[in-house]
Amino acid sequence: MQEVRVTILPHLRDPSGEGVLHEIRQSLGITSVEKVRTVKVYRFEGIGEEEARFLAERLLCEPVFQHYTLNRPIITDASRIVEVAYRPGVMNPEAASLMKAARDLGVKGLLAADSSVEYAFYGALRSEELELIIKRLLVNETIQHVLETPPRTLLLGSEPGRTQVIPIRQMSDEELLALSADRLFLNLEEMRLIQQYFREKGRDPTDAEVELLAQTWSEHCAHKTFKAKIIVNGQEKLPFLTRLRQATERVGREDLVLSAFVDNAGVMAFYEGWAICGKVETHNAPSAIEPYGGAATGSGGVFRDVMGTGQGAKVIASTDMFCFAPPDTPPEEVPPGCLHPQYLLRRVVAGVRDYGNRMGVPTNNGSVHFHPDFRAKPTVIVGAYGLLPAARAAKGRPLPGDAILVVGGRTGRDGIHGATFSSAAMTDRTLHVHSQAVQIGHPIEEKRMADALLAARDEGLIRAITDCGAGGFASAVGEMGAETGARLYLDRVPLKYSGLAPWEILLSESQERMVVAVDPAKVERFIELCRFYNVEATVIGEFTSDRRFQVFYGEERVVDIEMDFLHRGLPQRVLSCQWTPPERKEESPPPVELGEDLLCRILGHLNVCSKEPIVRMYDHGVQGTNALPPYGGIRGDAPNDAVLLTPLLGKPYAVVISHGLNPVLNRLDPYWGALWAATEAVANAVAVGADPRELCLIDNFIWPVPEGEFLAWLDRAVDACVDFSLKMGLPFISGKDSLSSTYRSGELVIHIPPVVCISAFGRLPDVGRTVSSDFKGEGNLLVLVGARREEEMGGSVYYELRGIESANLPRVDLELLPSVMNKVHRAIAGGVVLSAHDISEGGLFTAVAEMAFGGGLGAEIVVPEGSRPDFFLFNETAGCFVLELKPGASPEELFAGVPFLVLGRTLGRPVIKARWGDKLLFSVNLDVLRAAYQAPLKEVFG
Amino acid sequence: MRVPVLILRTDGTNCDVETAYAFELAGAEPHLVHVNQLRRREVRLTDYRLLVIPGGFTYGDDIAAGKILAVELTSFLREEIGEFLAKGGLVLGICNGFQVLVRTGLLPFGRLGEVQAVLMPNAKGRFECRWVRLRVEKSPSLFTRGMEGQVVEWQAAHGEGCFYTNAEQLKTIEEQGLVAFRYVDAEGRPTQEYPDNPNGSLNAIAGLSDPTGRILGVMPHPERFVLPTQHPNWRRKKIPPAGFFIFQNAVRAAGG
Repeated sequence: MQEVRVTILPHLRDPSGEGVLHEIRQSLGITSVEKVRTVKVYRFEGIGEEEARFLAERLLCEPVFQHYTLNRPIITDASRIVEVAYRPGVMNPEAASLMKAARDLGVKGLLAADSSVEYAFYGALRSEELELIIKRLLVNETIQHVLETPPRTLLLGSEPGRTQVIPIRQMSDEELLALSADRLFLNLEEMRLIQQYFREKGRDPTDAEVELLAQTWSEHCAHKTFKAKIIVNGQEKLPFLTRLRQATERVGREDLVLSAFVDNAGVMAFYEGWAICGKVETHNAPSAIEPYGGAATGSGGVFRDVMGTGQGAKVIASTDMFCFAPPDTPPEEVPPGCLHPQYLLRRVVAGVRDYGNRMGVPTNNGSVHFHPDFRAKPTVIVGAYGLLPAARAAKGRPLPGDAILVVGGRTGRDGIHGATFSSAAMTDRTLHVHSQAVQIGHPIEEKRMADALLAARDEGLIRAITDCGAGGFASAVGEMGAETGARLYLDRVPLKYSGLAPWEILLSESQERMVVAVDPAKVERFIELCRFYNVEATVIGEFTSDRRFQVFYGEERVVDIEMDFLHRGLPQRVLSCQWTPPERKEESPPPVELGEDLLCRILGHLNVCSKEPIVRMYDHGVQGTNALPPYGGIRGDAPNDAVLLTPLLGKPYAVVISHGLNPVLNRLDPYWGALWAATEAVANAVAVGADPRELCLIDNFIWPVPEGEFLAWLDRAVDACVDFSLKMGLPFISGKDSLSSTYRSGELVIHIPPVVCISAFGRLPDVGRTVSSDFKGEGNLLVLVGARREEEMGGSVYYELRGIESANLPRVDLELLPSVMNKVHRAIAGGVVLSAHDISEGGLFTAVAEMAFGGGLGAEIVVPEGSRPDFFLFNETAGCFVLELKPGASPEELFAGVPFLVLGRTLGRPVIKARWGDKLLFSVNLDVLRAAYQAPLKEVFG
Repeated sequence: MRVPVLILRTDGTNCDVETAYAFELAGAEPHLVHVNQLRRREVRLTDYRLLVIPGGFTYGDDIAAGKILAVELTSFLREEIGEFLAKGGLVLGICNGFQVLVRTGLLPFGRLGEVQAVLMPNAKGRFECRWVRLRVEKSPSLFTRGMEGQVVEWQAAHGEGCFYTNAEQLKTIEEQGLVAFRYVDAEGRPTQEYPDNPNGSLNAIAGLSDPTGRILGVMPHPERFVLPTQHPNWRRKKIPPAGFFIFQNAVRAAGG
C-alpha cells in the first residue's frame, strides 16, 4: 500500500481549512482553534513506491501551490491531526477517477485506489472540543469514520450469500408478525395472504420472494393509503388517488396533457412537436440521517424519473423545497438520534448543489421554510423537469421477447436493510463493511448515462425505460413486466463487489442505474452506444408472455410468482377517521407601532428573509436557457416568483416553473393550508407572466403517519387540491405521498408538520411578454389586485412575532380566484405591467420591499382609512399581487370586475413610506431593510 | 463554407450544447466530439481549425478541476495537439475548459505538459453562480479583437476559479500582456474585493491568452450571453449580448 499526501504550500491560504475554522467558531463556539489546514491522502494498492511517486508528480500534486510526501506525514507541527475517510463499502466516486487517470498515464498493476482527508488543528484545543468538532462537523458516522490506523487492503469482497427458504406455511400469526417486524413491515392480514398463496402453491417461499412481495406491497411502492377507501365521520369517500385523477379527467385538458399519473413524470405539450415533463419527489428519511448523500441522491433519483419518462427526456431544471428547524435551535432541543438543523441545512444544500451542478442541470426554483417541529426530521423535496419529443412522450410498453438491460452504475449493498457480510473468505476490512451504506451519489455516472440514453432514444433503440431506485430490480422489472411477465438472471448483474446474496441483488437500491427494454435486434447497437459514452449496459433478462416474475441465480430459481398476485393480490384498505373542524377564535390583538424595528424583524424572519446565499451555490445558468433568474434586479438580490426557461435556444417559447407550500397553515387547517399552497404555486407563475390556463400541477403530501386526525387532515388537504383543480381548470398530472413524518423515541413523539407542496409548470409562447419583480421606474402607480380578508392573520409571520396564536387563517376565495389570475395575466401579456410580485410570507409590505430592493427605488403606500395598517401590510393571503403599472395604464379598466386597490407610487429615493390618512406610519431607508433581510442566512453560510 | 468547430465532450461535460449553439449563431458548424472518438482516431483534431473545451465537471473534477481530462489529453493526444497548433489551430477553454488548458500547460505559455499556473478553489471555498463585470484587456488574443478596454457582463459559475501562480510567472504573464480578462468593480477598476472578484484571483485575472493569441481560457461563460434574454436584467434595459463577440472573433480567426 502506497500513501501520497498532498497539501497546499504552507504560506498560501487553504480555503477548505478556513471553512472548517469558520464553522468551528460560528456553529460550535469553540475559540481555542487558531488554524485548520487540510491534507488530501491518496492510497494505492498493487503498485510500488516509484509508481506512487510518478502519480504524485504527474497527477496528484501541482508544485505551483502544493507539495507532497510519500508514505509519511506531511504536517508535523499541528496540535492534532484527524483523518476522515469513507467507511469501507461506501463507494468513493474519486476512486474510479484515480484508477482511470493512472491507467491513462500508463501505470500498470494498480488494483485499488482511495482518497481521504486529514484535518490538522493548530492551537490549544481540548480533547472534548476535538470530539465535538469531529462529531458535529467532520464525520457523519453513517458513511464516514475517523481512520485510526491505515487499512491493510482496499479490496472488498466475499463469498456470495445463499438463498434461504422461509417456512412460512407452518407459521403461527405470532411468527408471521415476528417475520414482518424484522424485515418486511407488512401487517398480519398481508402476511396471511402471502402464507395462503404459498400454501396453495404447495411450497415455502424463498427469502427473495418474500422480500419482493414486501417491497411491492410497501406503502412506498403500493400507496396503500392513497388507494384506500376512506371513511370520514362515518361517510364513505373515494380514495385520495381516485379523487385527484377524477379531477384531472373532469378538467379534461386533452390539448395540454399528454401523460398523467401513469409514467415516472407527468407530460404536457410544449411547442413545435416538443413536450415538457415534471416530477417532484421527497427524500426525507435518507436526508435526515445523511443529509449530503440523502439530498444528492434525491436529486439524482428525480432526474432519473425524468430521464425515464416516455422513451427518455433531457433534464432541463431542478427544484428544491426544504423545511428545517431554525438553524439556531439549541442542541439540547434536538431529539436523540437526530442531526442538528444547521448541519442538516448546510449539508442538504451542498448535496443538491453538487448533484445538479455536476449534472449540468440548472437549479432555479425552490424555497426554505423553518419551524421548530422539523427538528426531528427535515422535509426535503426535490423536483425535476424535462424536455422530450411529443412523439416519444407516451409511456413505453415492453413486448414479450424484449431484452431487459441494466444501464449505468453497478449494484452494491446500498440501501438494503439488515444485510450483513456473512461468509468465510473475507479480508479483515470486509468485516467492517457498513451494510446499510447510504450512498453519496455519483452525478458524473448519471450524466454520462443521460448522454448515452438520449442518443439511444434518438436512434429509436428504447422500447421502455424506468428508473431503478426504491425497490431496485424488484420494483423496476416487476412494474415494467406487470402485463407481460419477466425473467431475470441475477448472476449477470454487474456488482460493485462480490458477496451479495441473490435477494440483495434483487432489492439493492444502488443509485445511477436504469432499466431499459430493448428490441433484441437492437441490443447490440444499444450496448455499443452506451460503451461509447463510458457507460456499462448489460442484458440481465427478458420480458416474457407468461405473466410470471421468474428470477434466477445461475441454475437456481429464486423467484417464481404470478404478476397478478404481485400487483393485484393486495386488498384495498379501508381507513376511518373523525373530523372536527377547528375553532376559529376571532381575536384581534391591539395594534402596535409600525417602526423600523418591527419592519426589520418581519424581513429578517427566517420564513421571509433572503435565501440568496443558497441560490448562489446552484448553477442556474447552465444550458443557457434561463430567462428569469431566481434573484434579479440591479444588485441581483431581489427574488422573482418563478423561473422562466427557454429550452429551445433561439426560440421564444418559455417553460415556467413555480411552487407553493406553507407548513404553518397546514397545522391550523389543512384544507386552507393546501388551498393556500396551490394558489401560491399558480400565483407565482402568473406573477411572471404565465397564462393560468396553460399550467399543469404536481402534488406532494408529506404527512405524519396517517392515523386518526392525521388521516382526516390528509382527507381535507386532498379535497382542497381537488376543489382547486376543478375551479381553476388545471389538471394534476403527477404526485407523490410520503406518509411517515412521525418521530418516536421512547416516550417522545413528534409529529412533523404536515406539508402539502404544489408545484406548477407550464408553457408560454413568448418570453418577451413576461415580467420580473424589480421596480422599473420612479413615480409609477402601484396596484394591489386580488381578494383577501385583511383580518385573516392566523399563521402569519406578524402574528408569530407577536406571539399570537389564531386559527383565523387566510381562506382563499376560489370563486374570485380564476378571474383575478386571468386579469393579472392579461395585464402582463398586454405589456402594461412593469413589475409584479405575488404576496406570501411577510405580506404586502415584504412584497413591496423586495420589489424596491431590485429596482434600487422606493415606494409610498397609502393604507386605506378603513383598514388596520398592520393587517393591511402583513396579511399573507395567497392569490394577491402587487403590480407596477406603466404610466398611462388605467387600473379601473384593467381590473374591472375583480378586487383591486391603488396602493401608491414608486419613489426615486430609496425609502419605503406608508401613510394612513394624514398619519405617516413609517419611512424607512432601503439599506436598513435590505441588511435585515439578508442577515439571517449570511450568518449561516458566511 | 461554415467553419467546422470541434466541441470536446467527455464524462461530466455539461456546457457543450449551449456552446455549440453560440458557434452556430456565429455562423460556424459545431461538432460535438467525444474524447473517445479522438483517442480511437475516429475523428482527427487536425481536420479542424478550432478546438473548444466547454464547461462542466469533467470526471467529477476529481483530484483537481479539469485534471483528469488534462492528463488524458497530454497522455494520448500530445502529438496531435502539437500538430494542430503548429498548423495554426485555435483553442478556446471556458470554465472547466480553462482549468483543463491550464492543467495541460497550454496556458499561459503554450507549453504542453508544463503546468505553470493553477485555478485553485475559490477563496470562499464554495461554488458560486453570479454575474460579474469583466474588462477586456489588451492581449495578443485573437478572440478579443476590437473589444479591448470594454467592460462586459458575463455569468461566472464555478467552485475552483481562483487564479494563482508564483511571483516570477505572474511577472512574465503581465509583461507579455497575456491577461485577456480581469474582474472589475462598478467603476471598471480591477478588484480583489468579493463579490466583484468572485474567487480571489491574483491580479483579478479571469482569463488568459497564450503568447500567440490563438489559445484563450476564461472562467466566466460567454456562451451564456449570446441571446438578449439570457441577461438577468434584460427587462430593465436593452443590453446587447456581450458574450457573442468571442464566437464571432473565433470564427473569423479560424477563417470563416
